[in-house]
Amino acid sequence: MSRVSDNSSTASIKFALNKTKERLEDLQLKGSTLKKATRPSDDPVGNVESLAIGSRVSDNAQYLKNADYATLHLSVAEKSLEEITDLLVKAKEIAITQSSDLYDENTRKAVANEVIQLRNMAMSIANKRVGQKYVFGGFKSLTKPFDDNGVYQGDKGRSTLEIAKDFFVPINLHGAEIFYANGTASFKQPEPINDVNNFQKSDASDTANDPEPNLIQGSTRTPASKKGGAEDGFNDSSNIFTHLDGLIVGLENNDATAIQGLLEKFDDDVDRLVTLRTRIGSVVNSIDRSKNILEADNVSAADRKSKLVDADIAELFSDISRHQNVLQTSYKASQAMLNQSLIDFLR
Amino acid sequence: MPDLLNIGKSGLSASKKSLETTSHNIANVNTEGYSRQRVIQQTNMPIDKGGLVQGTGTRVTGVNRSHDIYVEKRLDKATSSHHFHKERADQLEQVENIFNEIDGDGLNKVLNKFYNSFRELANQPENETIRSVVRDSAQLVSQDFKRVRSSLDGIAKQVDGRLEQEINEINQAAKNIAGLNKKIAIVEGFGGETGDLRDQRDLIIKGLSESFEVHTYMDERNNYIVMAKNVGTIVSGMETQELAIRGTAKEDSSNNMAGSVEVYFKDRPSSAITDKFRNGRLSSMAQVRNEDIRSLQVKVDDIAFDLANSVNALHRRGFANRPSTPGALADEKGPLTGMDFFKAPTTRENAALELDLSALVKDDLSNIATALQDNSPGDNRIALAISKLQHERIMDGGTATLEESYLQTIGRIGLETGKAKLDREQSEGIMVQAQNIRERIAGVNLDEETANMVRFQHAYQASAKVMQTAQEMFETVLSIKR
Repeated sequence: MSRVSDNSSTASIKFALNKTKERLEDLQLKGSTLKKATRPSDDPVGNVESLAIGSRVSDNAQYLKNADYATLHLSVAEKSLEEITDLLVKAKEIAITQSSDLYDENTRKAVANEVIQLRNMAMSIANKRVGQKYVFGGFKSLTKPFDDNGVYQGDKGRSTLEIAKDFFVPINLHGAEIFYANGTASFKQPEPINDVNNFQKSDASDTANDPEPNLIQGSTRTPASKKGGAEDGFNDSSNIFTHLDGLIVGLENNDATAIQGLLEKFDDDVDRLVTLRTRIGSVVNSIDRSKNILEADNVSAADRKSKLVDADIAELFSDISRHQNVLQTSYKASQAMLNQSLIDFLR
Repeated sequence: MPDLLNIGKSGLSASKKSLETTSHNIANVNTEGYSRQRVIQQTNMPIDKGGLVQGTGTRVTGVNRSHDIYVEKRLDKATSSHHFHKERADQLEQVENIFNEIDGDGLNKVLNKFYNSFRELANQPENETIRSVVRDSAQLVSQDFKRVRSSLDGIAKQVDGRLEQEINEINQAAKNIAGLNKKIAIVEGFGGETGDLRDQRDLIIKGLSESFEVHTYMDERNNYIVMAKNVGTIVSGMETQELAIRGTAKEDSSNNMAGSVEVYFKDRPSSAITDKFRNGRLSSMAQVRNEDIRSLQVKVDDIAFDLANSVNALHRRGFANRPSTPGALADEKGPLTGMDFFKAPTTRENAALELDLSALVKDDLSNIATALQDNSPGDNRIALAISKLQHERIMDGGTATLEESYLQTIGRIGLETGKAKLDREQSEGIMVQAQNIRERIAGVNLDEETANMVRFQHAYQASAKVMQTAQEMFETVLSIKR
């Protein structure tokens, strides 16, 4: 038989009550936050995973935003291409009609006015803005891409956006590839930052005075305007505006052969625009696909996170009532022990 | 018949002594560290009377305390161990709170926002408003690095303060023990009872055990020796060796912080003994400060340093967002390229505390570069590249992304704290158990004492009755004469 002293029995009552209350308090906290864990040590692994998921979800939100932005830009570009195509088709119809000798000089002069209107429209499309930003100016998005003579002032900059982790899509067409006959129409997905892979993190000693030319692929510290821009040979290229100008001049001078010579060029222009539109279409498709994937990913991330973080309500509340019972029983049991003494019976 | 009177008297005084002891026990039922006492009673020397051996009553030979030195030592050890784990868990819970992002924002979310602000800027590189969003989010990043780092420093400083207090308490306890040793020696010198004094001494030892693991023994000259395990003697008989604390210079400190406190032997040339203590609060605090917090400080600095330098390295490639003379590398507002985004950190150490935006970025939003070439407001390549740093393995020698590395750190803190909390609970269980065993042996049971009281009272009454009987017998004999 082990001996019991008053101190040992009160201590064990206190210990037992304290344990139950501590557990109940913990459950109460979970009940009020409805979270399984309230601090990292409650579930270190789950906490880290849920943080990583949190980052992923907010990244996804940003990617979705980027995707919407990319879609907006691409649809503006596509709409513009459509308008220019319509306009060129119209110009070509005029050219076909007027290349025969059926019409006289006066009619042609009148028609020339119509073509001038077409050219103005083409110009306004070429200088289209979304917000303050010129859509077809390449990187020079704040300067008017085409001057009054239809000479391209922008550059061949291709902006890309990240619409899913490591998935970049181009969001703009530059004026040169749309309007110039020999416009570079390579629409390969550019990778603006495989540079980051080459990039070595530099220590503090390694400062700005030591630029590594290969850090960002294909770039040096030479400012682009030294080599690019208007001197790039855009001047003498044949472009949509020179074609329209040719048509106007032909009409005004009543020169049916010159008009005839333009027909093929208009065809080329339309072909080029159609190709560009197809390419935009495929990019838009890929954006849509990636958006679907992102949304699915969000759902599964939310599901996983909830499993990691959220308390199981049914289990929680049955736990709470169970522990309430335990506490009450402890009270009852202690009552028997605390309120009885031999003295009560020695009278 | 005088025998009868004497026997009665011996029983009377023995019962009285027992009753006194019982009441002493009852009075001290709630005295901490009290051990119940028992009267040791023996029969008196029997005498030989005409061939008959005859008892001569009883005598009290001493008052014992109910006490088991091994149980006591086990309790001290369990106390040391529990207070080590308790202190560790308490400290780590504070540390963990700094990194708690379950409700609300922490460094991880802030960093994520920072990268995404660059993604947003890549959408509209021309936009001033988004540039200010980028600047704000970067400011939040630097603020949060500061918050994390200075909170860590704060906990380390707090440990220093606690160490000082702890040492004062230890010195006071050592003095008290030495004083009690002296009293015990004196009282024992004239054969007095020392149970209560020993209880007091054991209680102080138990208090000391909370600070470090204590070893006690009696040396060959019967001096009571108190040792801090692995460190040295604190009390020897009536002599004490006090401890002292000293702030150290940054180079000499064990956690690389200026003014951090170390423990020494007072008035004795010695090196720091802070990390020599075993168990107890002292070693726990030293460990948390010198290892756990230290490694976090280094880690946070590393992250801040690598982040600042990686972002800067990319940002320096970019050109300011304002029109300029083609080919120019600077204009009246300052340089057009080669600009830092964060203020370039000078050293890895304290990088988190010093993280800040560069003066250029603070002054003018157009100095946030997005373009890889000049006069290209629509160029977003730099912004893209910076946002892409999020997924680049720039930490820990190119093996982990910033987020991975940071999350690993949080995971480690969580695990350590979880383990410490578990240890705290377990060691508390062990301590409570040891405490219970001690109380079973040494504690007062009121029922038992009540029963004893009745018992001794009866004995007292009976002894008195014996004396009464003796007196009546005398009277009977005397009345024969009449």
